[in-house]
Amino acid sequence: MQNPYIPYPVVVDKIITEVDTKDIKTFRFKFVNPEDETKYSYIPGQFGELSIYGKGESPIGIASSPTQKGYVEFTVQKAGVVTSALHEMEEGTMMGLRGPLGNSWPLQFLEGKNIVIVGGGFAFTTLRSLINYMIYGDNRKRFGKITIIYGARNPGLLLYKDELTEWGKRDDLNLNVTVDKGDATWKGKEGFVPAVCKEVAPSKENAVAVICGPPVMIRFTLPVFFDLGFSKGNIITSLEMRMKCGIGKCGRCNVGSKYVCKDGPVFSLAELDKLTPEY
Amino acid sequence: MEKRLIKKDALTGIAKKMADDFLVWAPVKKEDNILFEPLQKGAEPFFAYLNSKNAPKNVFFPHTEALMKYTRTEKGMVFSEDKNKADESVLFGVRPCDAHSFALLDKLFDQEKYKDNYYIAKREKTMVISLACVKPPYASCFCTSVDGEPVSSDGADILLTDISSDYLVEFVTPKGEEKLTKYFGDTKADAAADTKKSEITAKAKAAITSNIPAHVVKPILDKNFDNPFWNTIHGKCLACGTCTYLCPTCHCFDISDEVKGADGVRIRSWDSCMFPMFTKETSGHNPRSSQKERWRQRAMHKFKYYVDNFNAIACVGCGRCVMYCPVNIDIRKIVEDISKL
Repeated sequence: MQNPYIPYPVVVDKIITEVDTKDIKTFRFKFVNPEDETKYSYIPGQFGELSIYGKGESPIGIASSPTQKGYVEFTVQKAGVVTSALHEMEEGTMMGLRGPLGNSWPLQFLEGKNIVIVGGGFAFTTLRSLINYMIYGDNRKRFGKITIIYGARNPGLLLYKDELTEWGKRDDLNLNVTVDKGDATWKGKEGFVPAVCKEVAPSKENAVAVICGPPVMIRFTLPVFFDLGFSKGNIITSLEMRMKCGIGKCGRCNVGSKYVCKDGPVFSLAELDKLTPEY
Repeated sequence: MEKRLIKKDALTGIAKKMADDFLVWAPVKKEDNILFEPLQKGAEPFFAYLNSKNAPKNVFFPHTEALMKYTRTEKGMVFSEDKNKADESVLFGVRPCDAHSFALLDKLFDQEKYKDNYYIAKREKTMVISLACVKPPYASCFCTSVDGEPVSSDGADILLTDISSDYLVEFVTPKGEEKLTKYFGDTKADAAADTKKSEITAKAKAAITSNIPAHVVKPILDKNFDNPFWNTIHGKCLACGTCTYLCPTCHCFDISDEVKGADGVRIRSWDSCMFPMFTKETSGHNPRSSQKERWRQRAMHKFKYYVDNFNAIACVGCGRCVMYCPVNIDIRKIVEDISKL
């Protein structure tokens, strides 16, 4: 049986610098052994452990969608030892990838419902996975209205700019991209995510809000959705904690009795209410 | 299952004989400590001991263990799984509380979805021989409060009980019976030995005078995460981690990489929830930001979270944390206090 501590060998196939500050890049990995790609079959919302020998591992949400065949993508901010080493890498380098780990966005629960995606800053990665999954081919029919509200501090910090342009052209989703402060070339919305949520005012009818962002965004966005009448069971988010093993054994990422790595990272607010507020 | 009687002075000889065929972990005297170590040729095991300083969990879950190895090549790093070459082993003479801890650790490391191959390989290849506590060794022993007993075969393949004239040898699992019967002579135990064991068991249980309300606190912990009580434990804690390192059920670990020249190894090593860095994130945020939160985690993990997840208390009542805490923090007092919240 597969040893969960041993990474699959992957090669860095493509590196895309996402933001003007150059500290967030998307890494596209290809599996060295093609059969590993089947073993690495994942669902949007799951994460992987990026494994650099000699440096260590870093748990990162999967940014690509399982509908994108032949590779897996992770969008990574340069922060600690492993992510800094990753940012120094060149295309063609070999490294390791463990996973897929954790639960996922609750696709079955989301099916047939109107989906409101709210993302802030760098936390948009696994939401991008979900969006690309939902709008792929016939998948689109399985979901109701899709409303996206995505914000960054400034236009240069928006991720996936090409995709945002493509999504903007579609008439089967309502895309709202906002920046805290625009620049000379910015023609889109200006304003904080919570304010834009209020303005867009998605209906609570048969709807689920999937919210990911920095704590300050979450804090001010949640009341907007409560005012709109969304129940706590219909607001879903994803947690981050320091992790090592990723499989619920090493003991550091628990929130109460639940391990974020194994039982999460995705929780509804109703579920979080039952846990201890220690994250 | 088979039961035998052996002479009291036969134990050392049996352990040494087994060491010809197996890797035998036995209590040995090392400076002032009794530690479970692989029995070397000619070395004397020491069975007249109270309990070992360290919990014998290191047999299955060593302080430091290689998970994988890798080498730098022209194409980048190439890695190889560190093969789990666990030897056929015998863990000879552990106390019942420590054997109980193996049954608890199994629940974590041998789950349906994620199996820890490193732990499981060693566990499957090792036979555990428990040495009953006929006289509970320490005043701080409280196994009977946490689902244990001083004379118990829980977690063991064979149980040895000193019934004054002889040792009663009880084979508990088919694995133990099949592989180890031949080392224990051919004197079958009679009914009188069973009767004697029952008397001794009752006496030993009665001799445990330290009792804590371990089962009472679960529903109280469910409701008291924010109780000001949690401000009262950690004041004197040095965050040294002794309690977690000596604890038979503490299993938290770190994973890190070490490189020498072109070769590297990914290792896991014991870690501790008592350490500030344990949960500190790259951003600087730490969900357990002070020793208060860390102590709450330790108490909650043992008496609530483990019960939630595995329906078992993650404490075996060995009392090591009570005896060796440098500032005398006493888990028995903490549980007692929680029961009164």
